[in-house]
Amino acid sequence: MGSSWQIAALVLLGGSTVLLFVGLPVALSFVAINILGAMLYLGGDAGLLQVVRNSAVSVMNFSLTPIPLFILMGELLFHTGLALKVIEGIERLIRHVPGRLAVIAVIAGTVFSAISGSTIATTAMLGSLLLPVMLARGYHPSFATGPIMAIGAVDMLIPPSALTVLLGSLSGISISKLLIGGVVPGLILSLAFIAYIIATALRRPHLAPPAPPQGQAEAGGWRLMMVYVLPLISIFVVVVGAMSGGWATPTESAALGAIATLLLALAYRALTLAALRAALGGTVAITGMILFIILGATTFSQILSFSGATDGLVSAILGQGLSAFAVVTGMMLLLILLGIFVDQVSMMLITLPVFMPLVAKLAIDPIWFGVLFLICMQLGLLLPPHGLLIMTMRGVSPPEVSMADIFRAVVPYVIMSLLLLLLLLLLPAVATWLPNRLIG
Amino acid sequence: MTLVARCYGRLLDALMLVAQLLLLAMTVMIGADVLLRNVGGGGLPWSNEVSEYILYLVTLLSAPWLLRRGQHIRVDILLRALPKRLAYGFEWLADLGGFACALYFVVYGWRVAQASYAAGAITLKTLVLPEWWMLAVLPLAFLLVAIEFLFRMHRLAGSPLGPRADAVSAS
Repeated sequence: MGSSWQIAALVLLGGSTVLLFVGLPVALSFVAINILGAMLYLGGDAGLLQVVRNSAVSVMNFSLTPIPLFILMGELLFHTGLALKVIEGIERLIRHVPGRLAVIAVIAGTVFSAISGSTIATTAMLGSLLLPVMLARGYHPSFATGPIMAIGAVDMLIPPSALTVLLGSLSGISISKLLIGGVVPGLILSLAFIAYIIATALRRPHLAPPAPPQGQAEAGGWRLMMVYVLPLISIFVVVVGAMSGGWATPTESAALGAIATLLLALAYRALTLAALRAALGGTVAITGMILFIILGATTFSQILSFSGATDGLVSAILGQGLSAFAVVTGMMLLLILLGIFVDQVSMMLITLPVFMPLVAKLAIDPIWFGVLFLICMQLGLLLPPHGLLIMTMRGVSPPEVSMADIFRAVVPYVIMSLLLLLLLLLLPAVATWLPNRLIG
Repeated sequence: MTLVARCYGRLLDALMLVAQLLLLAMTVMIGADVLLRNVGGGGLPWSNEVSEYILYLVTLLSAPWLLRRGQHIRVDILLRALPKRLAYGFEWLADLGGFACALYFVVYGWRVAQASYAAGAITLKTLVLPEWWMLAVLPLAFLLVAIEFLFRMHRLAGSPLGPRADAVSAS
């Protein structure tokens, strides 16, 4: 029989994992384990009352407000059709690049990432718009689906990003710095994706036959660029500029971004009542999914701490005499493993109560750690068989695209993401330089 | 039963609509606050606090609707790997467990709100409000979640063996 903290860790962490796998909604899995934990470690009835109180207060948290606002930006652009204009504008400008449509998916996805806080919106939009065109032009499904899924995942790294806000809020890492810390790694990944696509299209042209020349003049592309793409990118400038300039908090810049998106949609006469309702509906649904888990899980880290499990685990890890680098590497490997099975919000709730004390004790740069965490979560979106973007892609793909095609397509992008993770592990400045320079 | 389920669905739709309007109001309110503060209008000092209440209300008002649509995230990787009969059994177990958790929030949430009302507790931030106003929403919302679990089990009883196609992630 182990010591009491080991039993507590087994009951709480093991119990929550078992409940998750039984198929109980994530939020209620945490509620169930909190009920057990409150009875065992928080004094029974008083603890049960405290759990309810904590739940009520958990989502009354101003630092969480950017989540719906960032999601609203993406949903508005998606439902008003403005995002489509971004793709059109970029498509007409790069007509001679090998694997053009796949490159467009990456560039449009990067631009859209910079103005949308919703990963699902990005992938669903690019998938439903670009995939049928790619397949009609003879792209192999195992080549066509990859960039769409991969760039959807990069959406989490490039601000605005709803899950980055949640990570900052739950871990105590500066939300502004975390949002800006994702910019450089996100751009590096986008560039790596483009280089890979062009190289593959040149080496194996049967995967992406060259597109027939089109009658569209490039001038049309420049017009779309000036009229739609640049004004929409200015939203990114508003959001990131207001935050890094220090005159707006992440919440305030998110609200400005959401209002700027609303106003632009109005200016383009794209804001119908139906589009607004669809955007608000999508936003409330995704926000509700995320915040309901926070509400259910809120006392979990407290119970873990009261039971002695947190201290026990942290001391046991520190007692191994491992270097900070080895501990961080171990944490990242665990996150990647978790990402295969559970969703991003659960990953944060299960690991952060133990990871953050380790980060503090080992004096690890929290921004560096946060960006590494984001890349691991991004990998989780792409990992077969359960990754959100794989599921989204399956949902928007025509039946001739097999699951095997989708799995094959995602492999090179997973490898590139792992290489980025390695680069960041070895060169923390890739993540920390920009936020430190802009915010200090 | 179908009629009752449909009427209940309408109620959940109405609550979802309220949540959407609250979210729109929050966006406009925070934007107006930033704008007013930067043009020297003094801003809306209560906007942070009201935003927090709106986040709470949006979460609770949408929760039963999301359950009806199968949009509360869960992990289904094991359910999909198991034989259908066993996965179906786990669906029942999960629904009963979910129902019990919702009932816990109804009973203990009610006790917390009642104690706050009896003590005359108030929240003293920018706005001064009786604390039970917000606390009372929690057991009411979870009562709706508990009722939806009953409908969910009724639907499960009439569905073929196997796991449901619920949401597995949000982002």
